[in-house]
Amino acid sequence: MSQNRWLATGNFYTTYREEQRTFSTHLDRTIFTLFLVLLFAWPMFFDLGNKYMFVVDNILIAIVAVMGLNLVTGFAGLISIGHAAFVGIGAYTVASVCRTMGTSHELVTHFWPLLIVLSGLMGAIFGGLVGLPAFRLKHLYLAIATLSFQMIFQWVINFMTFFNQGQTISIGRVYWITGKVGRGDHYEFWYYAILVIVILLGFGIRNLLKTKYGRALVAVRDNDRAADAMGMHPGLTKVYAFALAGFFAGVAGALHAYVFRGVGFESFTLHESVSYLAMAIVGGLGTLNGSFWGPVAIRMLDLQVEHLSEAAASYLPQGTNLATASKPLTFGLVIVLFLMFEPRGIANWWRITKSYTKLWPFRY
Amino acid sequence: MKETRMVRGLMVLVLLVFAVSAHAGEVYKLGFSGAITGPTSDAGNPLSKGIEDWFKYVNDTKMLGDDKIECTIRDDQYKTDVTKRNFEEYLDEGIVFYLNYSTGSTLGLKMDFEEEMMPTVPSSYHEGNLVNSNYIFIPVATYSENMVALAEYVTKNHKGGTPKVALFIHPSAFGRGPVDDTKKAVAAGLDMDIVEVVEHGKDLDNSAMLKRLMSKGVQYVICHTVQSPVATMLKDAMRLNVNAKSFGEEGKLTFLGAHYTGGADLIALAGDAAEGFLWTCSYNLTTEDNEKSKKQLELAKKYGRDDKAANSHNYAAGILQAQIPTEAILRAKKAGLEVNPENLTKMLNDMANGFDSFATVGPVTYSKDDHVGVDVVNIYKADGGVFKAINSIESEYMKKLRAGM
Repeated sequence: MSQNRWLATGNFYTTYREEQRTFSTHLDRTIFTLFLVLLFAWPMFFDLGNKYMFVVDNILIAIVAVMGLNLVTGFAGLISIGHAAFVGIGAYTVASVCRTMGTSHELVTHFWPLLIVLSGLMGAIFGGLVGLPAFRLKHLYLAIATLSFQMIFQWVINFMTFFNQGQTISIGRVYWITGKVGRGDHYEFWYYAILVIVILLGFGIRNLLKTKYGRALVAVRDNDRAADAMGMHPGLTKVYAFALAGFFAGVAGALHAYVFRGVGFESFTLHESVSYLAMAIVGGLGTLNGSFWGPVAIRMLDLQVEHLSEAAASYLPQGTNLATASKPLTFGLVIVLFLMFEPRGIANWWRITKSYTKLWPFRY
Repeated sequence: MKETRMVRGLMVLVLLVFAVSAHAGEVYKLGFSGAITGPTSDAGNPLSKGIEDWFKYVNDTKMLGDDKIECTIRDDQYKTDVTKRNFEEYLDEGIVFYLNYSTGSTLGLKMDFEEEMMPTVPSSYHEGNLVNSNYIFIPVATYSENMVALAEYVTKNHKGGTPKVALFIHPSAFGRGPVDDTKKAVAAGLDMDIVEVVEHGKDLDNSAMLKRLMSKGVQYVICHTVQSPVATMLKDAMRLNVNAKSFGEEGKLTFLGAHYTGGADLIALAGDAAEGFLWTCSYNLTTEDNEKSKKQLELAKKYGRDDKAANSHNYAAGILQAQIPTEAILRAKKAGLEVNPENLTKMLNDMANGFDSFATVGPVTYSKDDHVGVDVVNIYKADGGVFKAINSIESEYMKKLRAGM
């Protein structure tokens, strides 16, 4: 460890404990704390309006989901093409409670934190079940197993009358210590609630990766036979990775249900699964901060392309459908460009920026 | 002296400003969110043009005097989350009336409409929109009314026993909704045998399905979906020579369809195979060559629309969707009421003496218990490459079913 606790000029660790610190210097900790304060304080000074607060909430929900996907695909190296279905499991857990007990039942409106955790657990159970083929399957074959789950999920929701055949199931408004959260405060309230969840889960992952359970994920990804030889159980580790990812997705699903105040089938399709995967790739697979960058980049890109195609639709002839094609075209192009030129994602840009500021004002 | 002149000049200026602003009139904000691009934009695009043109016309012709309607039109690409975002934006802007598009988003936002007490006219004619809703006003006959009306037409015109019918539907809530109502009508006494309900996929060939229906003795296929799967089926039926040349021809299949199955788009897709197809729609078609269609074409010409949009029944649907809030605003102004969501809802609920629209085949009426605008549907038949009206019908069984609800 560097003598100066505020500025590190290199990585000089003398114990494993030092290496496992969440923040390597006091400066890192201070900057992070200030950043958190900023995240909590800015809504008090800037009024984004409900429209853009809704966008911000959506980004935070996607961050929760992508953190889970990054665990299974980024850290454990298991491709999941059914992540939206796991998010759907969480959302439909809340919806099922509403269907059976009513949208205004206290479990939904007052004990919503409990229901969010319960949705996460349901996601974990289904994640574990879908992960079972990992005992025998690897690589693309396992990816197909997750795709099958996505298809089964879509068919079940689309045809079962209990799930309203995919039509929206309404969710009641929640209560906080100040009373019922009305429309005026709805998106801001959920911004704070989701932000707390993101921070808790973020620290959870950060700490998990320092433990033997977290290291096992990476070891199995890098070489499962070597991991086996080191005493780890590759099959169980993979199942547990799927269960963890399912938990995160389930929580994201419950948050989605509450923010949208309804659960409909179209938010959990294969297209959404591919979107989550794209967010993880663009953000940076196998990095925690990549889980933040990816959703921000893809959701903001979506928004901008939406505005562009809307403007283009007024000028372009309807028959050409160019405006319709612009969104998938841009989406695909971004993925291809990242895979070609920056496969390590935006997280790598962050790493380079951090290295630069660490050395500054010296060249090396 | 110079100062006094300046003060007088300023006073005149201030008076002028006040005078101008007093004549400026009110601006009523409205919002529309629909699929201008993306899935179903073949319907949503001309529909949004109809809305845009009608409000331009209202302002240009000073239909509301000095008052103006400012309707923001946003594309939601058929995605409910984008629709919700647009709706939130409109609420922040202080809209007095909202126009929505898809079935999914109308059902998804129904609770919001209730909470905000926002009168809403959707482009979706799903019967379920009306369940537990006080603020949704459907412009024309619902999908269920269309389908049951077709079933009634079949039973009235079929000769020789109980007609055997197959329902060919879209695999979604939009497709399934009217099936339940048709089954309820049969249970309530409509003399029809529903042999099979086919939820189509993305099949490129329907030969096997058509042969199966033939082997089951099916005589009529009533469709409730969009044009492309119907076109595929009609082309296959023509190839297999199983399509009826006249209504109810023995040993052949007579094809009929509700609202989104027909129109110029079906003929463009199916060509000759569409001949004889029977289609229900509450909109007046420009191929009818009457005073109503002339007005629609004039409006489209005035605002520079191409022939495809001008002749689309979806363009007419957009016009009607915009005419409904316009009429509510006119009536509120006439009654000396403030133009706000509450009073506009009241105006619609009191619209038993409705208004005539050049876009539709019947008058638009609403009441507190009836939130469906036009109850009549025209039955059109594809003949010589165009749809021609052959009958007008109002579903008796749907009235009975609603009364029993």
